[in-house]
Amino acid sequence: MITFIIRRLIGTIFLLIVVSMITFAIFFLIPRLAGQNTYQLAAQYVGRNPTRQAVLQVEQQLGLADPLYLQYGRFLKGIVFGAHYRSGPQVTYCPPPCFGYSFRSQLPVWPQMMSDVPVTLSLAIGASVLWLIGGVSIGVLSALRRGTLFDRFSMGVALAGVSLPIFFTGLIALELFSYKWPIFPNVQFVPFTQNPLEWARNLILPWCVLAFLYAALYARLTRAGMLETMSEDYIRTARAKGLRERKVIVKHGLRAALTPIVTIFGMDIGLLLGGAIITEVTFSLHGLGFFTVQAVNNQDLPEILGVTMLAAFFIVVANLVVDILYAVLDPRVRY
Amino acid sequence: MRRRRTFGLAALGAVGALALAACSSGGSGSASSTSSPGAVAYNAGLTSIVNQSTKKGGTLTFDWRSAPDSFDPGNTYYAADWDFARLYSTALMTYKNCPGACGKELIPALATAPGVVSDKGLTWTYHIKSGLKFQDGTPVTSQDVKYAVERTFDRGVLPNGPSYFANLLGGNAASYPGPYKDRAKNLMGLTAIDTPDATTVVFHLKAPFSDFDYVATIPQTAPVPPNKDTGASYQTHIDSTGPYEFQSYQVNKGAVLVPNPQWSAAQNPTVSQLASKIVVNMNMNPNDVDNRLLAGDAQVDFAGTGVQAAARAKILSNPSLKANADDPLTGFGWFFYIDSQVPPFTNVACRQAIEYAANHLTLQNAYGGPVAGGAIGSTVMPPTIAGYKKFDLYEATTKTQGDPAKAKQLLATCGQPNGFSTGIAYRSDRPTETQGAQALQQALSAVGIKTTLHGYPTATYFTNFAGVPKYMSSHNIGIAFGGWGPDWPDGYGFLDELTNGNTIVPAGNTNIGMLNDPVVNNLFSKAAGITDETQRNAIWGQIDEQVMKDAVIVPIVYAKALMYRPTSLSNAYFSQGYTLYNYGVMGVTGG
Repeated sequence: MITFIIRRLIGTIFLLIVVSMITFAIFFLIPRLAGQNTYQLAAQYVGRNPTRQAVLQVEQQLGLADPLYLQYGRFLKGIVFGAHYRSGPQVTYCPPPCFGYSFRSQLPVWPQMMSDVPVTLSLAIGASVLWLIGGVSIGVLSALRRGTLFDRFSMGVALAGVSLPIFFTGLIALELFSYKWPIFPNVQFVPFTQNPLEWARNLILPWCVLAFLYAALYARLTRAGMLETMSEDYIRTARAKGLRERKVIVKHGLRAALTPIVTIFGMDIGLLLGGAIITEVTFSLHGLGFFTVQAVNNQDLPEILGVTMLAAFFIVVANLVVDILYAVLDPRVRY
Repeated sequence: MRRRRTFGLAALGAVGALALAACSSGGSGSASSTSSPGAVAYNAGLTSIVNQSTKKGGTLTFDWRSAPDSFDPGNTYYAADWDFARLYSTALMTYKNCPGACGKELIPALATAPGVVSDKGLTWTYHIKSGLKFQDGTPVTSQDVKYAVERTFDRGVLPNGPSYFANLLGGNAASYPGPYKDRAKNLMGLTAIDTPDATTVVFHLKAPFSDFDYVATIPQTAPVPPNKDTGASYQTHIDSTGPYEFQSYQVNKGAVLVPNPQWSAAQNPTVSQLASKIVVNMNMNPNDVDNRLLAGDAQVDFAGTGVQAAARAKILSNPSLKANADDPLTGFGWFFYIDSQVPPFTNVACRQAIEYAANHLTLQNAYGGPVAGGAIGSTVMPPTIAGYKKFDLYEATTKTQGDPAKAKQLLATCGQPNGFSTGIAYRSDRPTETQGAQALQQALSAVGIKTTLHGYPTATYFTNFAGVPKYMSSHNIGIAFGGWGPDWPDGYGFLDELTNGNTIVPAGNTNIGMLNDPVVNNLFSKAAGITDETQRNAIWGQIDEQVMKDAVIVPIVYAKALMYRPTSLSNAYFSQGYTLYNYGVMGVTGG
């Protein structure tokens, strides 16, 4: 198991390097191939109607005129060893992992991202608890009561949940529960360490909206998995042995049905930790998703590179955890 | 609700008279204002002070759908930032505190009086008020003003602000690298600014520039103490000279400001210190901002660009909400350029044909209609700009659906009786421009002009596409959508970058019409040397008319925006200085 984890972690480093190379190429190499020169690139990061000298100063400050391999090498070096930046009267040291300085805010990227992590983490964890409990329970009950009114109704709601985009359900939720009936007024992120109750109160709406989408998906997946599993021979054997129905369902049925759920949960949680973009934008929560949107809108390459690599890291780690969990869920799996 | 509505309607008539009284009074520009209080009514904030109050206390909340380019007064270029910056920084000059047009008048803020011009317009001298202090109690000196301007020369560190000082100042301004690379004694190496004593600052220009007092309103002239400057990170610990200082600031997330104990109204009466706390929430969902305004959770939409469609519908259909709204001309103009270097637009008659062929009504609708979009324009400058002159050469406001017959006639004159083909550039991530381009395409096809639409991203629109003359010519793109908001509300601020021949550059060009008309250029040169405001304003009108004769710009609308001012907001009025609500004097009625 240890060897497996070390092997995967080494693979993660290579994967992150490849991701950074691709992102770097998209934002630097492709525009150059399309004819954009470094002066035009630098002009994007200066105020309106700049002088030529101003653009050249920015070009020099950001190192845009250097060869691409040098710029990329500098970026990687910063992550491992840190970097020094001229930020005014003094040279500022950016400690590792230094993802560079934002082209727009002129501040180091890493601390900005780290300040957004608690928001995304709070959102993703809270919502995932809700959707796992809600989605899996409804899926199991629907499968066990196949064809009943409950099954039809819950699957109908699930279909709606999958179909309705978050920017719609989110706005409706805000309109109804924040403004019309102000049960959750003035939604703003409050850190858990500052006030746990306020933290939860402010996140209930985003959690519910995000969980509604995923719970619907998980309910349908669980239902399908349970239906398939419950018709297996070994379930019949378990019943024939005289096991209690609850034990048959939970230990033999659900456990087997959970394997694909765990796989997709790993992917989903990894993606969400990289930023629940639409939910964060809808509820004005300044997490990594919001950070990503801003970075892209501002064409802020260091920020884009940073958040892309962080998101990739989360996905890889989440997958690693899923692989380890397989061994727990499925006795046939050994590393 | 009914009572408020009746009261509001009755008050409407009185508002105009109040406004006249407000704007005709001379005024010191003090925060207590020279205007009479206005009743709560639709558009009352355009001409009067709504909820006028000197009540102290409470939290004033600004919600912002975006974030500042920087709070550093030397590194910002948004009108909303400049308006807000007066709360924590003090530029040499500022705009008078009164609603409507008189808000365009200049008054001294840090300075004791407007600049004194000498040396045939080449020297501008300002004396600064004595007794003004930074938040740590250190007195402000003229050297702090000089240093503040000097640091803006290092665009590698402070890239966002305007370049007026680099362009206008003489001495070594053209090659000065900024104080961070300055090897001169005390970092005061910019020879174009003298500080003969602690309260005098002298600017030496390379050529006369009569609008220099406007330049002195830019926060870049707000003092910065050299020993407190930390360059790029100064934005996170600004040394305030205004009524508020930063208690906290998380970049791109939000800020909290509290009263600065070193500030007093006696020293700087152009701003006030009413709220006991100012909260700025950044990067909010636009619809959420509107809902929070309507619910009273926030008092001000920082961006000041108007509410979204959903809130607009709510406000306009509900009289009590409508009474708390204003629909001002924002000072912004939307238009499209006709590139005079792209054939067949090299012929003025072909350009004039486009002026007649455009369907102004469909274009206005594309931009949001008369309330949210704006009023149909017939001039380059909107009416809020000093020097505006009313005229309508191409009957845009009378024949709002265009005049295809006249357009065809002009096409025949320019040798294109069967029309021609050209391209239309627009910013594809802006729905208004996308719809506008489609509306124009339809109108032009009616007179035989075939067009191809070219959508580009906003971020690179000027640097890579529409603002690159070579690109326009090589891709046969003769028309490009654009808009303009001036850095200050007079003809120079609006027209220079759009129409002066000397502003044409190979990339990042904003004179996309490629106008290099000697008549226009000479009028700009003439105005630069005229210190009399009335004479200068007359020249802006002449330039506007000449540009319209040259037909390189087709005005679409004088932009408007429906803005909401919650009842909890005091001293709310729209100023034509920054063409926003005056953030410097607001308070809250509660608390």
